[in-house]
Amino acid sequence: MRSNLHDGSTAVRGLRQSMAWIHAWLGLLAGWILFAMFLTGTASYFRPEITRWMQPELRPAHASAVQAAQAAINHLQATSPGDQQWFIYLPDDRTAVTRVFARAKPDPAKPAPRRPELKLDPITGQPLEARDTRGGEHFYRFHFQLQLPHPWGRWLAGVCAIFMLAAIISGVITHKRIFADFFTLRWRKGQRSWLDAHNAPAVLALPFHAMITYTGLITLVAMYMPWPVQANFKQADDFTAAAYGRPAEGKASGQAAPLLPVGPMIQAAAQAWGGDPPRTIVIRNPNDAAATVTVLRTTASRLNARPDSITFSGATGQPLSKSPAPGPAISTAGVLLGLHLGHFASPALRWAGFFLGLIGAAMVGTGLVLWVVKRRKPNAPPFFGLRLVERLNIGAVACLPAGMAAFLLANRLIPADLPNRAVLEVSAMFWVWFGLAVVSLLRPVRRAWIETLGLSALAFAAIPVVNAVSTDRGLFNSLVAGDWLFVSFDLAMLVVAAFCGVGALVASRKPPASPPPPKVMVRKRKPAPVREHADAV
Amino acid sequence: MSSDRPLKKTAGWLGAASMTGRALTALVGGYASAAALSSLLARLLPGSPAEASAWGMIVSFLLFACLALWAFHERRLVYVAAVLWGSALLAGGAVMALGVRP
Repeated sequence: MRSNLHDGSTAVRGLRQSMAWIHAWLGLLAGWILFAMFLTGTASYFRPEITRWMQPELRPAHASAVQAAQAAINHLQATSPGDQQWFIYLPDDRTAVTRVFARAKPDPAKPAPRRPELKLDPITGQPLEARDTRGGEHFYRFHFQLQLPHPWGRWLAGVCAIFMLAAIISGVITHKRIFADFFTLRWRKGQRSWLDAHNAPAVLALPFHAMITYTGLITLVAMYMPWPVQANFKQADDFTAAAYGRPAEGKASGQAAPLLPVGPMIQAAAQAWGGDPPRTIVIRNPNDAAATVTVLRTTASRLNARPDSITFSGATGQPLSKSPAPGPAISTAGVLLGLHLGHFASPALRWAGFFLGLIGAAMVGTGLVLWVVKRRKPNAPPFFGLRLVERLNIGAVACLPAGMAAFLLANRLIPADLPNRAVLEVSAMFWVWFGLAVVSLLRPVRRAWIETLGLSALAFAAIPVVNAVSTDRGLFNSLVAGDWLFVSFDLAMLVVAAFCGVGALVASRKPPASPPPPKVMVRKRKPAPVREHADAV
Repeated sequence: MSSDRPLKKTAGWLGAASMTGRALTALVGGYASAAALSSLLARLLPGSPAEASAWGMIVSFLLFACLALWAFHERRLVYVAAVLWGSALLAGGAVMALGVRP
């Protein structure tokens, strides 16, 4: 406990007060978008798993990297051997399929349309048919593009992220009882309780919040802050080459030469990488004497998310180039990126990240509610701004979960062969989210909170039911089959439904008739008459 | 340097204009200043240019957040504007005068 004298110092108190003031405004202005970024970003910890759940027709077939790569190449050799470039994304223990994308040689006479990405069976290399869906990719993309045209979504997400960073710093400065509040939760005390409900998740997961915010900015640093690169390099490409190396990929020679099997190249790369398998293989000018095979290292086993790469000659099998060993700064940036993406995380750590992300969403959500609770006068009609914020809070916090559930439900309810169904799934999320927010305007504020949160709970609880009815992979069957991904998914939906239900319950409680004045509370708790920071807001 | 009281609310259009100016200075001026200062750091740090640029990028956001927060702490708006826009111009000018690293 700090001395009273120190707390009373005008400079310190001035700083606390100004930081408390800006903290409230930063949180308010960015809060609604940040809540959505937190929730969809948290879901993205399970991006491949969500995709697998959304294509229940596919069952994972396990194949080694060499087997999957060669099977994919055999398919591409049979279908389009004269292409300019093949991208092969290999499966791992989290993904069920090999994905390939082939780019044809550019033909100035008639530019070919961009080909779709294909899903291949890892063992046979044959194309797989499954319902068209954006899968986990949708939440992931929304998390930083906000469904807005490029580049506006990314810029808006960046502005919200820097607001978040400033809100964290100002929040920590504002907050002097950081360790005491770790254990403080005063239930049913009106504004006090909302302050505690905001402080507890904020303080509890502070390192996570700070880490995820800063590393989030780093993921798009090349777009947000390109100036330090421009100070040293004429072109951004030169920086990329200096930092990550430039694969020895060249133009086609026009001389035919058979593409060698990739197995030995993958094995040579694995030897250089301490046994790590590749994640991606890029083949340029296949079946040409100048063909190159670039093998990119998996990032699932290390913190640094920038993959190492080795480029081989496709005609001779000799290594041509490899990415340089990164220096301390490039490594730091790679680790920051890796911390955000979480590819390195074991299942236990990924679940920890998932719950920390939910705690972050709770921090933002309770902060938004706190803004309203602080400004509401018991015997005065709410002013326009207050009513607006109140309604936007309901729309952002209580209606988005229903929208996310609708996206998953639409996946099961829209016929699997309907054209354009992937777009319809995405529309379902936004129609339900914004539609529910608009309809909730018809209800009084308290009822609107209860009913929208209740509907969100119902929507999530419906997911396991609809899954069981519409597929043969319901909870019971999955348990019998030992299909832990589908079991976990159904259980997670029930847990999220319970969270929403608890939210509805909290909203349905009658607020205390007249909250005790804060001064009484302070005297009761501590002998020293310390002014509570947040009272200055 | 630092103020002893938080921002005072000024009523009327003068207060609104001053708050708008402060917010713009914090957001745009703060960004410009952080971009220029981190670029100058990247340009001046010894060692490999790619490493120096990466250090500049890594610290830039922390710099931006702290500068923008300070813009809401210091009461004298003219002083805030002078520091943020001035440092952006000075550091940016220095980066341009130095030119791309040879």
